[in-house]
Amino acid sequence: MNRVLEIRPLTRVEGHGRIEVRFAGTKAEMVSLSFFEAPRFFEALLKGKSYEEVPEIICRICSLCSTVHRICSLFAIEKALDIRVSEQVGLYRELILHGGHIQSHALHLFCLVLPDCFAVDGISGLADKAPQELKRGLHIKAAGNLIQEIVGGRTIHPVTLVPGGMGKPVSREGLLKLKETLQGVLPETRRAFELFRSFLPNGEKLDTPRYLSVHPEGASPFFGDSLTMGNAETIPVELYTNLLREKMPETGNAKAVLVNEEPATVGALARLNLGMNLTPMAAAAFEECRMLVTDADIRANNLAQAVELILAVERSLEIVDILIEADFSREETTGIVPKKGQGIAAVEAPRGVLIHNYSFDDRGICRGADIVTPTVINQAAMERDLIALATHMEGADDEELTGAFERLVRAYDPCISCAVHLLRI
Amino acid sequence: MKKPAIAIAGLTACSGCQLTLLNCEEELPEIAQRFIIDYFPLGLTERAITGPIDVAFVEGAVSTPSDLEILMKLRNCSRSLVALGTCALWGGIAAMKNQESRKDLAKTVYGFAADDLKSFNPQPLHRFVKVDFAITGCPPEKGELLTTLAALLRGTFPVFPRYPVCSECRSRENLCLLIERDKMCLGPLVQAGCNARCPAVGIGCEGCRGPVTEANVAAEMELLLKKGFSRDEIVSRMQRFYPEWDYEQSS
Repeated sequence: MNRVLEIRPLTRVEGHGRIEVRFAGTKAEMVSLSFFEAPRFFEALLKGKSYEEVPEIICRICSLCSTVHRICSLFAIEKALDIRVSEQVGLYRELILHGGHIQSHALHLFCLVLPDCFAVDGISGLADKAPQELKRGLHIKAAGNLIQEIVGGRTIHPVTLVPGGMGKPVSREGLLKLKETLQGVLPETRRAFELFRSFLPNGEKLDTPRYLSVHPEGASPFFGDSLTMGNAETIPVELYTNLLREKMPETGNAKAVLVNEEPATVGALARLNLGMNLTPMAAAAFEECRMLVTDADIRANNLAQAVELILAVERSLEIVDILIEADFSREETTGIVPKKGQGIAAVEAPRGVLIHNYSFDDRGICRGADIVTPTVINQAAMERDLIALATHMEGADDEELTGAFERLVRAYDPCISCAVHLLRI
Repeated sequence: MKKPAIAIAGLTACSGCQLTLLNCEEELPEIAQRFIIDYFPLGLTERAITGPIDVAFVEGAVSTPSDLEILMKLRNCSRSLVALGTCALWGGIAAMKNQESRKDLAKTVYGFAADDLKSFNPQPLHRFVKVDFAITGCPPEKGELLTTLAALLRGTFPVFPRYPVCSECRSRENLCLLIERDKMCLGPLVQAGCNARCPAVGIGCEGCRGPVTEANVAAEMELLLKKGFSRDEIVSRMQRFYPEWDYEQSS
């Protein structure tokens, strides 16, 4: 007999998603994942707006990744308008980016994933069953938010990051407070790593993903100007449309993306597999779990994020030290002269490769925008893995299937409100 | 006293208002113990809205049949409904081009597939249901959310001040960006409560908290025009979070 299992809405993920499984007898014939998030047409909203307005508007695409969207838009705008920023501004941007990664990874690991590890429904269950683990996770998360608050002026949709510069820089007291807090949570990130290393994925291994990431350049693990898939080949980010092909969705409002006609996987696991630069403690943790994350399927992404938590806190501390040492004074952003141009930039968001592409007319008015988000890139791989999982689990009851499907999608850490806005004008 | 049952749901939005709750790191374990969290898909494995719910917090504007369905279900089983954040209260960022054709906007992004989208102009909640209380902001201030939760434990809602961002900005002794620096700052028109976050770091108020009561829109418009901004620039900025300002205040 044919029947359909619908999981709607997906829970403990950002945004509105749905899984539908069609069975012929006990065999899953088709699995579809759709994002039914309401479309907000961000690319259309940006059209006609000044380059100054673009970062303030586009960061509202998503709250979990508002910082990285803002930074990626600044990079693209500055490329288009030929603006260079000072060392100070560059350091603050990297620092707040790490703050965003800390808060996002800690939120995902401790508020969304941890309930699965303790077989509870959510935060209330954790408060009863694993209060210490929850508290520790929230403590790490708060440190990420403190960076965003102190550097960005606000934890969500930070305000100080503007084209060509920044608002008021952080005071010495602010930097010292950050240093103290980050030093306090560094040992906790190590314990978080140990905690997530103890929750190993079970069940048959899924396909080894085709990893994709920004090719890291310089000291920052999340910035770069080209994309890599692990082979010797890297392509400049400007040529991203040669690599990524958009596919119209059959259901839902998000367009899927194929990389070289195949599903690709982006995010913490991809970054670790593609050789990102690691700080000492993060490198040590990676060595300890190398076997668990190398060529692993997406379920190892949670552990990979735990390694990155150590990395982000350590690297933030390095930057804070540089800033304290340098004792920069306040700079005024000098007059920007708008000009016609196009700018394309990529940054590693917590969930993976993020690309912003804008074109401006000679008055600096946005005439075209294209945004490719990590969740959109991951969508094809999510569907592939769901089908494989359904096949492995033939005969399982609906409750088991629902739980396993949701845990799988959760491991990708999808951000669905970002995902429904890709596309080219 | 019985623990209040709450629901937290998101419609057309960025999840930032729900994230504001999850950003109350220090208070979250206590909130989880003092309230029964009945429905909160972002943080809880519960798919069905069953109720009865004491207070439903709803983030986001209404722009799809599915939004409307969630909103109606929550209204039907909740004693009070709270509009959480600027989108729920004023329409917010997704509503900024509500005066343009929805079809054209959709075509810009989705091409020919746009015809299949079931979506209409994003509207605030009060266009569809009775709203008992609102917390504004994009994102809302953590303090206002916590104050509201604390008041709920006493069976009431708090009273928030109704004055413009300028009042808070002046009391922080910031330089006036509008008058002294000739920047486009919407402080005079916008509801306070953020302690003038943006002007305090040298960035003009972008208006993310929506109109303050008795905002003098015409005067701000005149001042900005005098400072050399074009009407298009001013309108574009003002509509970012609320598309329905009455610029002439003729009525």
